[in-house]
Amino acid sequence: MSVAIVDGRGWQNAFDLKTGEKAEAAGPVVEMVRGVLQRHAYPGDMDPQSNRWVSDTALDLMDHYHPRFVFLTYAAQYYAGRYTVMTKEARGGMIADAFREAERFVQRSGVAAIVVGTGDMTQFLGAIDVTGLDGLAICTHWSTRYAGLHEPSPADMQFLREHPHIEKIIPRNEVVGLFGGTAKQALRTPEHLMLARKGYAFKTITDTKKTPVMIPSINFSVPLYAPGRAVSDITGIRQAVEEELLRNNVALIVMEGVGREDFPWPHTPCANSAKWYYYEPGSAQYLTITSGEHRFFDYPAGYKYYEELHETNDYPFSGYFKSVPSGTLGGAFPGKSIAVGNRSMFMHMVAGADIAVECFARNLYNQGTMAVIHRDDKL
Amino acid sequence: MYTSNEQGIRERFPERWSSCASSVIESIPFYHVDPGSRCLAIGTTGCNFRCRYCSNAYFAKEDPEAQQDRLYSLTPGKLVATAKKLNCRSLVFSINEPTVSIPSLLDVAREAKAAGLPLGCLTNAYTTEEGTEILAAIFSFFNISLKGLSDEFNRTYIGIGSVQPVLRNIRRLAQIRHVEVATPVIIGANDHEIEDMADFIASVDPEIPWHVFRLLPEDEMIHAEYPSIQAINAALESARKKLPYVYFHNFVGSDWVNTLCPACGAVAIERFSLGCGGDKLNRLFCKDDLCSGCGRKIGIARLQSSPVGKGEAQS
Repeated sequence: MSVAIVDGRGWQNAFDLKTGEKAEAAGPVVEMVRGVLQRHAYPGDMDPQSNRWVSDTALDLMDHYHPRFVFLTYAAQYYAGRYTVMTKEARGGMIADAFREAERFVQRSGVAAIVVGTGDMTQFLGAIDVTGLDGLAICTHWSTRYAGLHEPSPADMQFLREHPHIEKIIPRNEVVGLFGGTAKQALRTPEHLMLARKGYAFKTITDTKKTPVMIPSINFSVPLYAPGRAVSDITGIRQAVEEELLRNNVALIVMEGVGREDFPWPHTPCANSAKWYYYEPGSAQYLTITSGEHRFFDYPAGYKYYEELHETNDYPFSGYFKSVPSGTLGGAFPGKSIAVGNRSMFMHMVAGADIAVECFARNLYNQGTMAVIHRDDKL
Repeated sequence: MYTSNEQGIRERFPERWSSCASSVIESIPFYHVDPGSRCLAIGTTGCNFRCRYCSNAYFAKEDPEAQQDRLYSLTPGKLVATAKKLNCRSLVFSINEPTVSIPSLLDVAREAKAAGLPLGCLTNAYTTEEGTEILAAIFSFFNISLKGLSDEFNRTYIGIGSVQPVLRNIRRLAQIRHVEVATPVIIGANDHEIEDMADFIASVDPEIPWHVFRLLPEDEMIHAEYPSIQAINAALESARKKLPYVYFHNFVGSDWVNTLCPACGAVAIERFSLGCGGDKLNRLFCKDDLCSGCGRKIGIARLQSSPVGKGEAQS
């Protein structure tokens, strides 16, 4: 059983990750993790100290668990850049702070670091309003490039094809064919996938809340810091990490919202794409990195996610995830592993690490922190 | 929000919506309205209160004029059609205060009624008696925010002089519509009023569900301490003796989100809370709204277009 320990500021409880029921969790790993959560209250997604929380929490776990593989995400600059008007210098300062935090972690822990940026941000130029369609357009709030199109009328198709800010409309068979999908996977793929031009984001009926200032740019490639290694595609990062693990303890570090333009460390371009498709920051990109294979179909862009949310109550702490993804690096690695991040509540799913600590923030509301213990038998 | 001239008062930004999303009704929260059903959660902009801890300040406090380019522009007919398309069984106004958008909501109510969809809302119920009757004409079920009782609290934290209109309107709406009440608790500000608020609700109708929220520090209070869950829960002990349906949530994994039978204590409805609008139904044990243990009636409003009645949220 995977155990979730939720710390809601002075309110700490253990749950069965799958069922959400209270769990009688005990043992040295549980006690160690409880202590880590108590010592590191999450400052909030938009707080300047958010990235420091990642390093501090990870170092605390290092001291007590001594993992060989560490998966980290630094995301404060992504959230702040997305929703706060700031100068290029100010944004550059935030990115520099994030890398200082990563450097502090690497120096203090002595691990070998492989760092990947999830891609550049660009100014938000406007919304593509697809709320008036006869059919249904779907994208999540965090997706800007892609929206699924379901049951469009001929009038919808004409309107969308003539829309100046829509780059392409890709039919389902082409989407499925690109990633070699099965018939079952095709069923969850929208009839069409719409692609927005640079700077534009779809506005759909299932959209929510805040309007962004910056959004992910066109990122067919992303920057990779991997000294001494030639990795041309994000599906190759996993192998590079595994090879490094044969000699060293390794930290795979993801820098959210940082692309080739702003990545301050030496880096090489790494393909983040397959033909016309590239990954936006999110779980599919993470899973592709940690599994070493394209993972479009786990939760495909533009699918009717709301229909699946309540098909089962399994994994209530895990957002739209309805199972623990297979094939992740952390899940396969026989040594000790941890993951820490302030990106979202999916670190425990995408990393597969023995222990994952993440912020528990929903729509930027800071509810505290959560740790998931997938394995407690390695201490 | 409104403007006035020689012709009268008119809505400044009709049919402009800040939110439009499919949700489950527990997440609004409504715990005693058609459990597990999906609703279309909508909102506009602006508010008649100025709460220091507003969780939707982005929409409620910012100048509505400055927000226009990011809002949805949807006719009432389109809203209702969307709700049907997404298999929603109701529309719930849940982001800001409905009284700032009455003309648009009257139009939505007309369309929704024709489609057999009832409307619900979150409201602060700070309205005139006439305004309250208009709300009752639009909405079938209410979650009314009773934020505090003392004039000092209401002046300091809410920006109003007195809670008396709210109390009057809770009494009135509870007579004719399904009503739940919500109270965010701020340690040192309104926690000492928990007992008095429970007495008030019990005097109106002890069957009213009461949602006590742990305040999530936001907006002007973002740097406030997170209130102690244990302290608030202890303060609720005597309230639970007066009110059978007291829920304490707005934090992850609350132990106090299940509905217990007031007669025998058996679990009638089991829920799960992620806090912050993430509540959901787990299991419903009360077939036909009767306790499976003793057969006692559990007060649940069922969504239907007719007939009219307090236990039924009609469109």
